[in-house]
Amino acid sequence: MGSGELRYEISQNAYIKLVLHALKHKAAAVNGVLLGRLSDRGDAVEVLDAVPLFHSHLGLLPNLEISLLLIEEYYGSKGMSIVGYFHANERYDDTELGGIARNIGDHIFRYFPQAAVLLLDNKKLEALSNGKDRSPVMQLYTRDSSKNWKLVSSDGSNRLITKEPTANVVLLDYMTSEKWQNVVDFDDHLDDISKDWLNPDLFK
Amino acid sequence: MVTKSEEDQLNRLEAQVDNAGGGAWEYLCLVRKLKVRRPDKVLKHGLAILNDSKKRSALGTEEWTLCEQVAVAAMDCQSLDVAKDCIKVLRKRFPDSKRVGKLEGMLLEAKGLWAEAEKAYSSFLEDNPFDQVIHKRRVALAKAQGNITTAIECLNKYLDTFMADHDAWRELAEIYISLQMYKQAAFCYEELILSQPTNPLHHLAYADVLYTIGGLENLQAAKKYYASTINLTGGKNRRALFGVCLCTSAIGQLSKGRNKEDKDSPELQLLAVAALEKDYKQRAPGKLPLLTSALKSLRVSS
Repeated sequence: MGSGELRYEISQNAYIKLVLHALKHKAAAVNGVLLGRLSDRGDAVEVLDAVPLFHSHLGLLPNLEISLLLIEEYYGSKGMSIVGYFHANERYDDTELGGIARNIGDHIFRYFPQAAVLLLDNKKLEALSNGKDRSPVMQLYTRDSSKNWKLVSSDGSNRLITKEPTANVVLLDYMTSEKWQNVVDFDDHLDDISKDWLNPDLFK
Repeated sequence: MVTKSEEDQLNRLEAQVDNAGGGAWEYLCLVRKLKVRRPDKVLKHGLAILNDSKKRSALGTEEWTLCEQVAVAAMDCQSLDVAKDCIKVLRKRFPDSKRVGKLEGMLLEAKGLWAEAEKAYSSFLEDNPFDQVIHKRRVALAKAQGNITTAIECLNKYLDTFMADHDAWRELAEIYISLQMYKQAAFCYEELILSQPTNPLHHLAYADVLYTIGGLENLQAAKKYYASTINLTGGKNRRALFGVCLCTSAIGQLSKGRNKEDKDSPELQLLAVAALEKDYKQRAPGKLPLLTSALKSLRVSS
């Protein structure tokens, strides 16, 4: 079954964690993985959690492999698997899905054929404080039949939604209080293992 | 590049200043010395000093250094009015300064006026073709506009002349990595290791790149450089310890069915695993079971 008309539903915590991570490292590209499962009816992918990965040398394999090993080990025991990948480009007006994101997406796709790649939409993020837009500040990419990652148009299709409709309101709140300072990613963990990439206390 | 103890010291100072415990000038000096990028804090605390006439005059001639530092931080935070004011003050004090000219160029960049910035930098270079700072601004200009190929060209040309500039080699390596041009990145790290052979971060980055390129020879070389990183850091660098485990596993997979001579002795990996487990037991005991089973799955495949 391909991802033809699949919906992607991302939980508020996963969504906010990823955006805050990007905001913590404004001058760098960052990435993360999406954890979750296929819905019982098979019509949607539920993204239940996310782990922020790196803010430097995104294109290098060793740290990525270690992080995926540990993440799969942890979430596997909770009945979840890696269902997608998140990427935020270094520059504000770079709206392209680059090679690194595509390659990592391909790897995840091999284990989960309904995988999604989410790219941070900087313009939408900037406009967050203006409007009452409830849609996520991310672009959705899925694999098409010719093995390419294609942008899913957000006009009226609503294929990517946040599970909680107030997610953007909460996100704005956290942005005002500069909550991004507390986000821990895998880079931080590797530098200081007492820092927990699960971010258990982030939303307490 | 900053060591962990330097970073800890900086964070401690930052927390102190944030909580109105004083030490703002000390903090700003440390940021300048370590060349780290903390624009929001620098802007906030630097401006506080500049706007307080007593504190400002207490700085003496350092006032201008602070002005420059705040101008750059302001541009980084897109507070262009603050930047403009600082630069105006500096221009008045130093009417013929090239250093202020560079700031004016940066302001054009910050405003997105790329052509004007390029013109300003080109005319600087006509007068002084060996101005390293301006050369590097041109690279930044290309990168900011998304002209990565131009940025690479400029940086390579710059390094032909200024081949001892480590920051430039590292920037070039990072650009190559972001474009997945790993062989070119490896070359940059080779240059860095040649000129700074005792800097473990170069060994580590080189090992990471070799591992990423893959193939038996590269994996064996990567393992050696992870080992030298461990050596240079007294076994404290976790990324290198993990790297050894990954290499051993990958080499094992590739050399299945080959001669025994091609297989590495397992001692290095066993030591690395032991070191990691000890570290996690001490500082992240909750994650120890996770680590153990992850490392086990690596070993099974070797």
